[in-house]
Amino acid sequence: MSAPPLVEAFGLEKRFAIARPWLARLADRGRGRFVHAVAGVDLAVPRGRTLALVGESGCGKSTLARLLVGLLLPSAGRIRFDGRDLDLRLGRRAWAPVRRRIQMIFQDPYASLDPRWRVADILAEPLEAFGLVRSRGERRERVEELLRQVGLSPADGQKYPHEFSGGQRQRISIARALASRPDFLVCDEPTSALDVSVQAQILNLMKQLQEELDLTYLFISHDLAVVSVMADVVGVMYLGRIVELAPSKELFLRPRHPYTRLLLDTVREPGRRGRLPLAGEVPSPIDPPPGCAFHPRCPWASARCRGERPELEPVGEAHAVACHGVEEGRLPDPRGAPVSSPCAAP
Amino acid sequence: MWAAVRKLRDHELWWHFTRSPLAVGSAGLVFAFVLGALTAPWLAPHDPFDPARVFLADAFLPPVWVEGGDPRFLLGTDDQGRCVLSTILWGARISFFVGVSAVAFSAALGTVLGITAGSVGGAYESLVMRAADVQLTFPGILVALLIGGIARTLVPPALLEAAAVWVVVASIGIAGWPQYARIARAVTLVETSKDYIAAAQVMGLHPVRIMFRHLLPNVIGPISVVGTIGLALAIVSEATLSFLGVGVPPTTPSLGTLIRIGNDFLFSGEWWIVFFPSLALVLLVSAVNLLGDWLRDALDPKLR
Repeated sequence: MSAPPLVEAFGLEKRFAIARPWLARLADRGRGRFVHAVAGVDLAVPRGRTLALVGESGCGKSTLARLLVGLLLPSAGRIRFDGRDLDLRLGRRAWAPVRRRIQMIFQDPYASLDPRWRVADILAEPLEAFGLVRSRGERRERVEELLRQVGLSPADGQKYPHEFSGGQRQRISIARALASRPDFLVCDEPTSALDVSVQAQILNLMKQLQEELDLTYLFISHDLAVVSVMADVVGVMYLGRIVELAPSKELFLRPRHPYTRLLLDTVREPGRRGRLPLAGEVPSPIDPPPGCAFHPRCPWASARCRGERPELEPVGEAHAVACHGVEEGRLPDPRGAPVSSPCAAP
Repeated sequence: MWAAVRKLRDHELWWHFTRSPLAVGSAGLVFAFVLGALTAPWLAPHDPFDPARVFLADAFLPPVWVEGGDPRFLLGTDDQGRCVLSTILWGARISFFVGVSAVAFSAALGTVLGITAGSVGGAYESLVMRAADVQLTFPGILVALLIGGIARTLVPPALLEAAAVWVVVASIGIAGWPQYARIARAVTLVETSKDYIAAAQVMGLHPVRIMFRHLLPNVIGPISVVGTIGLALAIVSEATLSFLGVGVPPTTPSLGTLIRIGNDFLFSGEWWIVFFPSLALVLLVSAVNLLGDWLRDALDPKLR
């Protein structure tokens, strides 16, 4: 992991204005109210590796994904791709030089393919958009190659998306993302809409493609089992921030942040003793609690946690945690455990 | 060509169509009208607009089956001696032309405004949709009257005769756009929230290209349903304008103009002059309406 990272983000933020009647806006003199979906994220995705982001619904992981591919424009912060900063003042056009190299795989395989197009046309769309094919023959060849690459038959190109199962559609979606020969793939919960057995096939396909094509993944998921299979590095998100960042093995063996421990505990087998006494819900990102956003649910929260926001601090090799308790050393020793994998061991 | 016919035959819609006597009946009637209107120059027994062949001596002849009828004039003649059947065929031609053009105009205008409003959003969307809301608070015919009046003052008098038909098309067309804009925007909002649009954006496709290639095909279905019902409305609007004397000029009479002319003689006993054009209008509009209703039901799986 010594090579320079392919994708980096510094202090990335995304605020969404809350739509309100103009009278209410007038009342607070247009200060407006915002949802801080992403509230200052630094991350680096190592070349050829997978960075996974985990967290509950609403923690901002999908927003972060959309920021990195340019579907949303950041409110603040910088994005660097392959060592060069994107000029975010240009708006969406900032991505123009790297468009071909950044692609995305979406969560819902039923909504991510245009139902009125044949699969061959869906796959050819990026080829034509980036001017990668010069003739009809070349186009057909490349489409067939893409279909084979994701384990479908070249004859499937003549069918429509509704003729395929969820897993097959996700294969088509992957093939479309691969069409422009990208370097970086943002995968927004690519398997969460699929059956478990199909999930394993798709994950194996993605790993195999990563090896063959030297792809870099940003992998978004709420499923820790999936993350443990896919990720080299894992970032745990809570309310728009990364609270713990560690190599996958390290994170699952020695989770440091109380929230990471909670997440790991929730997937452990039932009947196990010594679960963390955790209650409550994710606070509203409109009015995040002061100090550490996790303190209302944290069993070890102190006065400092309620008042001062912890920054991401290194606690070991490539392991960083944003927690006062970890920094002060007053948390009990972490007890990690490997989570069961959806991919059968060979 | 044959591939297209086969595709149509295999389509679900055709199956529904063949099983609905009402749809087949009204489609047949509409087809007969279209055919009659298109072939009026050859089909019509007389040329009612050639002064050299219209004789005042033939004026006010009743239909053939009424005493005093002339076998040359199946449905009788009007006050100038024109064959009523021929004027109806020619009138349907004008009515159809104005109706189809007006619907095409408002559908195109509304679709473009609706899709752009839905995808651009912000102040532009508010402006377009509030304009649509405001216009919908006025009866369509009033809007058409207003626009027609404005257009008439703008067009130079010398051109007025030639431009009259287009003025009617424009006024009915502009009066109808909000319907189409609302539908196009609604469909656009639904579709743009789906990830295949996001995928197209990640490819860096130009927004206009996304509108044409991904959004438009989704909009065309619902728009064509409203357009069919809108055609009936447009034909009635044209007839109303012509009846009020602000539509197409009497030299190229539409069904509405014929009804207005015939209306003068309704109480003096020459009922056929107004009756047959009115009957034609009622049949035409009902058939188009029924066809539109059927199309809407057939395309909406929830109503099957």
